Amino acid sequence: MSSGLASDEVAEDYKNSLEDLTFNSRWEISNLTVIAKENMDHALAISRVIENHIKSTPPNRKLPALYLLDSVAKNVGTPYTLFFGRNLYQTFMNAYSLVDGSVRRKLEEMLKTWKEPVPGSMNSRPVFPTEVTRSIDNALIKARTAAVQMQQQQARNDPLGRGRGVIPAQTPPIPFRNTPTPPVAGARYTPPQTTQVYVPQSNGNGNGITGIYGGSQPLNQQAYANPMSASNYQQPDGFEQPTGSIDSLHNDIANLIATTRNEFATNPYDEGIRQRLKALLDLQSILQSQQLPPDQLKLIKDQVAQLTPASFTPAPISTPIPPQPQPQPQPQPQPQQQQHQPSLQNMFPPNALAALLASTAASQQPAPPPVQLPVPVTQPPIPYTQSPSAPVQGITSPENSLLASLRAAGMLPAPSNNPAPPPPPPPLPAAPLPTTLPFQIPFPLPHISTPPNVHASPAQPCQGRVSNDVQMTSASLKISRPHLISLLYEGQPNQCASCGRRFLNTDEGKKKKAAHLDWHFKVNQRMVEAVKRGQNRSWYVDEMEWIKSRDDPDDLNAQSANGTHTNPSTTAVSLSTAMKKDPKMQYIPVPNDPALANVNCPICQEKFETVWHDQAQEWVWMDAVKIGGKVYHASCHAEASKDGAGIQRVATPEKVLGKRKAEASTRKHAACA
Amino acid sequence: MLFVTDSRVKSQEVDTPTIHELQKGSEWRFEVAFGTSVEVKLLSGTAELFGTELALNQTYTFIGAKAAIYTWNGCRLEVSGTCQVEYTAEETPMISYSNTHFALENLRQSAVAENREGPRVLVVGPENAGKTSLVKILTAYATRMGRQPIVVNLDSREGMLSIPGSLTATAFSSIIDVEEGWGSSPTSGPSLVPIKLPLVYYYGLPSPEDNKKIYKPLATRLALSVSSRLMEDEAAKETGCLIDTPGAISQGKANYDVIQHVVSEFSVNVLLVLGSERLYSDMLRRFDGSKTSNDENITVIKLSKSGGCVDRDETFLKQARQAAIREYFFGEANRTLSPHTQQVDFGQLLIYKITEPNSLIASLMPGGEVEGDVPLFGKVEPSVLMQNCVLAILHADLGDSQEILRDASVMGFVYVADVDDKKRKLRILAPVSGRLPARPMVLGSWPEPALNLVG
Repeated sequence: MSSGLASDEVAEDYKNSLEDLTFNSRWEISNLTVIAKENMDHALAISRVIENHIKSTPPNRKLPALYLLDSVAKNVGTPYTLFFGRNLYQTFMNAYSLVDGSVRRKLEEMLKTWKEPVPGSMNSRPVFPTEVTRSIDNALIKARTAAVQMQQQQARNDPLGRGRGVIPAQTPPIPFRNTPTPPVAGARYTPPQTTQVYVPQSNGNGNGITGIYGGSQPLNQQAYANPMSASNYQQPDGFEQPTGSIDSLHNDIANLIATTRNEFATNPYDEGIRQRLKALLDLQSILQSQQLPPDQLKLIKDQVAQLTPASFTPAPISTPIPPQPQPQPQPQPQPQQQQHQPSLQNMFPPNALAALLASTAASQQPAPPPVQLPVPVTQPPIPYTQSPSAPVQGITSPENSLLASLRAAGMLPAPSNNPAPPPPPPPLPAAPLPTTLPFQIPFPLPHISTPPNVHASPAQPCQGRVSNDVQMTSASLKISRPHLISLLYEGQPNQCASCGRRFLNTDEGKKKKAAHLDWHFKVNQRMVEAVKRGQNRSWYVDEMEWIKSRDDPDDLNAQSANGTHTNPSTTAVSLSTAMKKDPKMQYIPVPNDPALANVNCPICQEKFETVWHDQAQEWVWMDAVKIGGKVYHASCHAEASKDGAGIQRVATPEKVLGKRKAEASTRKHAACA
Repeated sequence: MLFVTDSRVKSQEVDTPTIHELQKGSEWRFEVAFGTSVEVKLLSGTAELFGTELALNQTYTFIGAKAAIYTWNGCRLEVSGTCQVEYTAEETPMISYSNTHFALENLRQSAVAENREGPRVLVVGPENAGKTSLVKILTAYATRMGRQPIVVNLDSREGMLSIPGSLTATAFSSIIDVEEGWGSSPTSGPSLVPIKLPLVYYYGLPSPEDNKKIYKPLATRLALSVSSRLMEDEAAKETGCLIDTPGAISQGKANYDVIQHVVSEFSVNVLLVLGSERLYSDMLRRFDGSKTSNDENITVIKLSKSGGCVDRDETFLKQARQAAIREYFFGEANRTLSPHTQQVDFGQLLIYKITEPNSLIASLMPGGEVEGDVPLFGKVEPSVLMQNCVLAILHADLGDSQEILRDASVMGFVYVADVDDKKRKLRILAPVSGRLPARPMVLGSWPEPALNLVG
């Protein structure tokens, strides 16, 4: 429509082709439909041509022409439905009035299908808006029952006049526009114990991926499963150091962290504890991401030993110790070390622990104390979205320095020797979590606090090898430097075949590429579904949301493929992390299949609760998961598959309600964090 | 994704594909009209379109485009479809452009080392000098090196990831769409190219001079958001930002105050002057040796304009604007979106119109400008004049003051398909279905009314 000329040409061609449509030829109609689909740009012109053709063609050719309109509306959909819809009444009634009885019946049958969704489509909207079909209906009624014409006229005028304005407002938000394919997401983020049960579905994915991309799936699963397995925590394989002493140091710090966390959980408002915990976490991540000379290690060790009260018994379970830092720093150690160590040694005498810690902290940019947010649930120490802000201030003030914090930690009161889950702290209603991960949600920080390293590294390894001498001067900019260009090409030999994106030929690069291919696969999978559902542009984010959003390289972060594209912010990421842990947060879109839409959960025999999901922008069943064609309450299913045999009724409605409230605040928490 | 050409409709366009052999360091320039499409496939070698690398053996479809494919190492391209113009050029400014990128990389590395913000780069130059293309190249190279630049568009004549009339800021960390300009803002569905998340403001006028009382505060507001993001987002902080500007502020000294304003609001420390000696010397005089607010030197650099830059005539630009509006609601060729029409009462909407200071009256006034009294926005009743116009829905509340409205970011756009004065009803096309948000809307005069969006 923007290009008058080309549209005219297309329209002219189309018009000529229409002349051939003399009888009800399925081949002809589908051919014309395909052409209409391919020339979506000229939809307006083409729909006008079709309308005019229906109007002007002799009565015996009207039916095939209307069938064409029907086919285009059903197979192509918008924008054609919009254009046809405008004149549908005239188009239809004009034809109807000129054809004989048998054709009329066919037209009526066709009209009936317009009031229903397109068969086989996920879109639950009727082919044409109800107000359009209704006006035709009313006119037909009027035509048939001339006797009660006056009465019927009223009936027609009423919905016509008033209905138009009212109906759109009454129709509930239509569930077709939605992002994600939550079933897939659900399967991916189920708690570990249910993994086996999801095999049918995730297997399907896995096979597909393996077939196409050579097994990137296992890698991914590993990456996700990892944070919870405590076993590999003790073996930071990136470290070549005398492992014994480092390990014990790690243990000491981890134990300190564990006790401090317990304390923090009981006194979430205590600033001292919070700072101590933060300092410890920083120290831990420094130790795990960098290789320090033995003498410096010893100093840290002594310091830590001092902090550990004699009465302290190491926490018997190592599980609550956050293994989270592991996945991130692990790939990093070598480049990190090369980057930092020389400069460290130049700048500071090797023995100055304070200087070391401060400087490492500076280069690491540890998360600063959080901005105090009004919502109490945001209290947990270091909401990670805040992390990169203003690290400088944090360090310049000596009170805030790592060393000072550690000293302050010397005043650590005797830790409680009871490492059992902390008493549920009031601001965290989600606390009664499985004991194996008491801190997963309240403390998402550790494994996210290192993004500076992750982000800083990609450019550096390849630049390290090639000297970049370009100055910002006119003369320097003129010299050809092929060796630098190769950084954009040969320097990153690992290329994605479908989009051309390149990755480094390092383990890190390979991992990223695998995740990237995984992302492609998932998107392709979702595209197929999305076409059936219909999509729409999302509202733009507001300033705060934009500032807080992190453009996690979408395709590197497989989580973003789970469908939170509408809101690719940290909120979404942390939400999906929360969903992974809590079956209650799983949801599926309300099935379009009416048979499926009325079923109960096979385990508890109760109905699913339909709610409007803001993020997904559609009607969903919360706490639901689809497995092998059947829909279960996610919590029922998790429960059932956990203890294998005993099928339990988990949730009475009140309980569900109560829990949901708790989740809502968890969600709010996640959103604020 | 593939646009299958049907022989019955486009018989004249179907021809055997042409093969182009490009030598090292040369560029294939092409123009495709709106309404026709051209398919390009990279058969061997390497090639990039405005800095974004093409994948081997993938078909890229271009509709309504003026672009160039450059090769550093030589390549073979297969082209099918009819280009309005196409030729291969040996002389390009790509060496200096790529060196600019690597010079910025050096600045970024020292910024990381000193824990400062990466370079804030402003690109100025007259219309059709290739400013946007340069910004795109620098963006693409930065993301290819694993950086994450914040890209700011201050040119309301053309939108970036939004419709014309808007000013935006966007973080780029993933590959830029080859076929669709800058790519796509978020939709409810998946996207083959990672979506970009823009922060959008609505200026609603074509040139900064049209209403500096709105343009400058908007630039300030945008700078505030960008610097907040730079402060908090580590990856963005070390990369810095790239700012694209309208040609108007580079043409004529009267508008240098806008450049000055942008430089100080964004703490620009690298000023790239494209394709104008005079502008370069003016900028040099104004900024060379001066410092930003955080005491960094401002560098002014002259870059030559590419010989491939073509003057885009008003017809093409208008088609591009219409296409951008249509794309906002209906999506691109390979991804159809379903917007939603609905009827609303006049009373349901609160619409403000941007006041356009009458430049004639202003120039007759003694001070040259009408001071103070003219409000920024005026409340307006819907009328048939609004038909086919685009309204911006603001992230603001109904009772907010003029200043808040001016500074508010945009939630989305709706299109007025129909106005019925008698029934006092409007037919509105909105991107998202459901009730229209009860928020103030702003009517500008840019982009111009789009004809026949809904038919």
